[in-house]
Amino acid sequence: MRGFSALTEKPWLAMPQGPMQFDPEGGTPSAQIALRFLLMVISIAFILIFVTFLTRSQYPDFQALAGEPWLPFNQSPRLWATTAVLVAASAAMHWAWRSVKTQRPDGVMLGISVGGFLALVFIMAQWTTWNYLVNLGYGVSENPANAYFFLFTGLHALHLFGGVLAVVRVFIRIGRGCSISQVAVAVKACTTYWHYLLALWLLLFFLLTRTPETYAIIAAACGLG
Amino acid sequence: MTHIAIADQEPELHHPRTFIGKYIWSQDHKVIAIQYACTAIFVGLVALMLSVVMRLQLGFPDQFDFINPNMYLQFVTMHGMIMVIYLLTALLLGGFGNYLIPLMVGTRDMVFPYLNMLSFWFYFLSVLVLLASFFVPGGPTGAGWTLYPPQSILEGTPGSGMGIVMMLASLAIFIIAFTMGGLNYVSTILQARTRGMTLMRMPLTIWGIFTATILGLFAFPALLVSAIMMLFDSILGTSFFMPAIVSLGEATDYEGGSPILFQHLFWFFGHPEVYIVALPAFGMVSDVLSVHARKNIFGYRMMVWAIVIIGGLSFVVWAHHMYVSGMNPYFGFFFATTTLIIAVPTAIKVYNWVLTLWQGNIHLTVPMLFAIGFIFTFTHGGLSGLFLGNVVIDLPLSDTFFVVAHFHMVMGVSPIMVLFAAIYHWFPLVTGKQLNTRLGMIHFWGTFIGTYAIYLPMHYIGFLGVPRRYYALGDTSFIPDSAHALNANITIAVIIVALFQLIFIFNLFWTIKREPKSRINPWDAASLEWHTPDVPPHHGNWGRELPTVHRWAYDYSVPGVVKDFIPQHVPDSEVVYEPGYDRFTSGREST
Repeated sequence: MRGFSALTEKPWLAMPQGPMQFDPEGGTPSAQIALRFLLMVISIAFILIFVTFLTRSQYPDFQALAGEPWLPFNQSPRLWATTAVLVAASAAMHWAWRSVKTQRPDGVMLGISVGGFLALVFIMAQWTTWNYLVNLGYGVSENPANAYFFLFTGLHALHLFGGVLAVVRVFIRIGRGCSISQVAVAVKACTTYWHYLLALWLLLFFLLTRTPETYAIIAAACGLG
Repeated sequence: MTHIAIADQEPELHHPRTFIGKYIWSQDHKVIAIQYACTAIFVGLVALMLSVVMRLQLGFPDQFDFINPNMYLQFVTMHGMIMVIYLLTALLLGGFGNYLIPLMVGTRDMVFPYLNMLSFWFYFLSVLVLLASFFVPGGPTGAGWTLYPPQSILEGTPGSGMGIVMMLASLAIFIIAFTMGGLNYVSTILQARTRGMTLMRMPLTIWGIFTATILGLFAFPALLVSAIMMLFDSILGTSFFMPAIVSLGEATDYEGGSPILFQHLFWFFGHPEVYIVALPAFGMVSDVLSVHARKNIFGYRMMVWAIVIIGGLSFVVWAHHMYVSGMNPYFGFFFATTTLIIAVPTAIKVYNWVLTLWQGNIHLTVPMLFAIGFIFTFTHGGLSGLFLGNVVIDLPLSDTFFVVAHFHMVMGVSPIMVLFAAIYHWFPLVTGKQLNTRLGMIHFWGTFIGTYAIYLPMHYIGFLGVPRRYYALGDTSFIPDSAHALNANITIAVIIVALFQLIFIFNLFWTIKREPKSRINPWDAASLEWHTPDVPPHHGNWGRELPTVHRWAYDYSVPGVVKDFIPQHVPDSEVVYEPGYDRFTSGREST
């Protein structure tokens, strides 16, 4: 309702009470606002690919990567392992944020170091998964399902790598003597970003390892069947 | 809520100490804006040259040996893409957005100056990659600015090798640049407004830029996704958009992809893009009209709501670009309806501009002439849009010159009229000098009359059925000789209009070099950007203290007030009234 009342203000009327008062310390930091918009932008990009994926999954030439014993992700211990790494990375970043709140510099350094390192491990693990698929004959151009797997996971890894660069910047700032309060907003933004990318990965993991029947149900539910 | 602490971020400002720090790797929003503007205008002039070459071929076929069919298609493509993305989007948001946002909302800089600098350099890189495609083997892509597959990446289309790859790479880099800039604009407007600058006290320029930025942030991902997927198809051989197809007599390895899918993605970006260009123009023209008519903008709230509603509706009309691609008739009905609904808030804006002029104290300055010219071109372009929004009328007119005339009037000429209005209007703020009026008048009349000389006959030859994107029409029975004669006339008009733009460029240099300093705030504008301690504003914009805003930006010709405008930062206690005027019984206080 606050937004609605702001948009119905009559600015041409004189305001006898003078200029509005503001709380200089209150509100959300700009970095958080920018991050929310960035996450919306990323979400829109992935949603659009999801839509094309679901549409394409109903074409006759689409061969899902799970559903039969011989398919690469019918059992997917490899992906479960990479998921565990990303969960640990997210937990480490959360630990860093908790350490900010409790004012423990060692915890912050440890948290972001481990979180950043595990993100790199995840990216490496994805790389080995791509090689594994190629070696099995599931190259990027062999089938649309493979192409989408490489596209989704590649874009996800690229976003994670961007996050690692941000973490490195925080690391350098702390190394140059910035206090915890000076990097608090950045650590919180990194933590939010890590959690977001974990959630996105879980969604991708679910989506990319379904059977054709499941795709048919999801597509029908979305009106794309 | 605004935050004075963020707006007044003095410790965060990085005052440059070297030439490179001040003008190259600058983090000052004003320098970045000028960098954006210069790059955009340069690349826009390249696109203008391309259009002249295209028109030479269309007006005088077979007269110029240096224009071959491939080159013609490549120039059509590059002209369209450069004008829409690299000129209009970049100049309106990167140029004017960067310059005006911090000054109009009363802050010292963008909230993320470093990111802002990166935004420009990524944009610059995208332009370099785009222009470099002229020099790769095969030349730039000639697939049309819509880049539709399958033809865009199949042999036979010019630039189907490196050309299309560089175009897609350039677009991806541009989108990264836009996202960096866009996050800055939105965060600055939401977070860093000065004390008293409520949302509804913001000038309409800021509302236009703000809404357009949000549209861009939400629409450009569709272009990014389609560019990446088409790069996969082109380089890695996937079949996202490529169906099984025979090319040059040989079966390709592609199978099962959907070209229509690309069209949906492209236009999900492409239609909001129209409003990414139009909304900042709407905002800026509102401010120019109000200042030069010495009258408050008519229906301010309705103008804000119309901007927001147009922005929202722009996401649900995209398939009106695809009627000829085939779709469920109910979809055609839906998209035709939403398209026509957009005419309602748009018409409200046009009425309000005209009503702002009504009984105003109109000063026919150069910016005002361009602003009034915009009302004409936009109304005409909008009316032909009502034709094309209907499925049954669009089908026969699709891919004819009627469409070319329509979109050039509505999103080519119109925003450019506003850009000229804005450049003439804000030039004294940026440089401290007022552009030469005589040259400006010549520039306006040549451009305004010239555009009608180009696009009115173009509607007619479109009605005759003359198709667009054809290198040569040949001997075609349904195209009369008069259409060929009109084509020649249009080409001559294009050359004349292009020459008039040289007057504008000359005026820029002449004014900077020869004209004396103008007085501060030469138009007597009330909005905040004209009231900095120094003109042009120094780094940090404001003096020791940020201004406090006490009113909206449109207090012109207020009854009983001695001066005909009250700046936004002047409190009621400092407003001087005419002797004997009782403001408490005048109605203003009690309305």
